[in-house]
Amino acid sequence: MDPQLTSLIVPSEEIAKIEECLNHLVEDTGGNYTLLLDKSGQVIASQGDGDRQDITALGALIAGTFASSREVAKLLREKDFRVLFQQGVRENIFIALIEEQWILCIIFNKGTHIGLVKVLTKKATDELAGVLERVRQQHKARDEVLGSSFRTSMEDTIDLLFRD
Amino acid sequence: MALINVAAREIHCKIVYYGPGMCGKTSNLQYIHAQVPRDTKGDLLSIATETERTLFFDFLPLDLGKVRGFQTRFHLYTVPGQVLYERTRVAVLNGSDGVVFVADSQRSKLEENIKSLKELAINITRQNKKFQDYPVVLQYNKRDLSEILPVSVLDKYLNGMHWQRYEAIATTGVGVFDTLKAISKLVISRL
Ligand SMILES: Nc1nc2c(ncn2[C@@H]2O[C@H](COP(=O)(O)OP(=O)(O)O)[C@@H](O)[C@H]2O)c(=O)[nH]1
Ligand SMILES: [Mg+2]
Repeated sequence: MDPQLTSLIVPSEEIAKIEECLNHLVEDTGGNYTLLLDKSGQVIASQGDGDRQDITALGALIAGTFASSREVAKLLREKDFRVLFQQGVRENIFIALIEEQWILCIIFNKGTHIGLVKVLTKKATDELAGVLERVRQQHKARDEVLGSSFRTSMEDTIDLLFRD
Repeated sequence: MALINVAAREIHCKIVYYGPGMCGKTSNLQYIHAQVPRDTKGDLLSIATETERTLFFDFLPLDLGKVRGFQTRFHLYTVPGQVLYERTRVAVLNGSDGVVFVADSQRSKLEENIKSLKELAINITRQNKKFQDYPVVLQYNKRDLSEILPVSVLDKYLNGMHWQRYEAIATTGVGVFDTLKAISKLVISRL
């Protein structure tokens, strides 16, 4: 991928594939909730029980956890920690990295066996890596997606909202 | 890298406030959080030590609403400034679209500012990005104090790249929104 590329444009049909993949993961594991994050912490898609609080903060924290564990890996001269597992009293969270760009998280409770989660998450990350590959390959122009007057409208909004 | 979700019609951008310890990064976010309209902001999340120093990051999500049909979100982060947390700063910078470099204008802080800016350049370069093309806005903070360097001197040591720069007093809000507007527009221009 071109490292100077400044935005990743995920088209509707790929979002639909991502949601289908997340949906299978929740159903097949009996998990509670799953979400796909960009490494910057932004939520790309989520599936599962709808009343999760504050997904935005959750995304920022999980991405931060992953990025810091990557620095730990470097210090230990590990190549990377591909997966992370956090065990809670009520719920557990399993996190897997997709090609250094996306992060897949699944939240599940005692009813679900971690072994099953590991196997099915592996399957899902392979599928999502395929989606990511296609998203990176497409070269849609920004103006094609946002429209050419987007920037001026955006600047007006910024002036309107960012003031004391 | 900004994320454009065509299905949900959403755009996300990540902006990081960088700079040496105690220069006023957290104060910038606190002021923004206090001032923006309620429906624009999420909660300000701070992962700090018991003594209120930033340990991991501060995080403030801003939702600008729909622009030309796209829901636009800016996520603001600060890094912990102390030298000790170099690796943590690398982690927070991951995936950022632009940086506000907050410099402490005090005479005694010049060397710390220079070191921190050098470290930023190294960290951006390590992400395979060209630092000279990277969106950066400079903020000279603490202009209310008496033992401060003139802007011309700060420019000489910190602004070789001719970035946009603003004088600020983060605690009272002077220059805070000018800085935020400048970095937001710069990031949007690079989408
Ligand atoms: N006088 C003055 N103090 C400031 C200013 N900005 C921040 N401070 C103070 O400097 C200290 C460190 O600020 P903080 O925002 O926590 O710095 P950070 O380490 O960069 O996050 C706090 O005591 C602030 O109140 C400023 O513009 N003027
Ligand atoms: Mg701080």
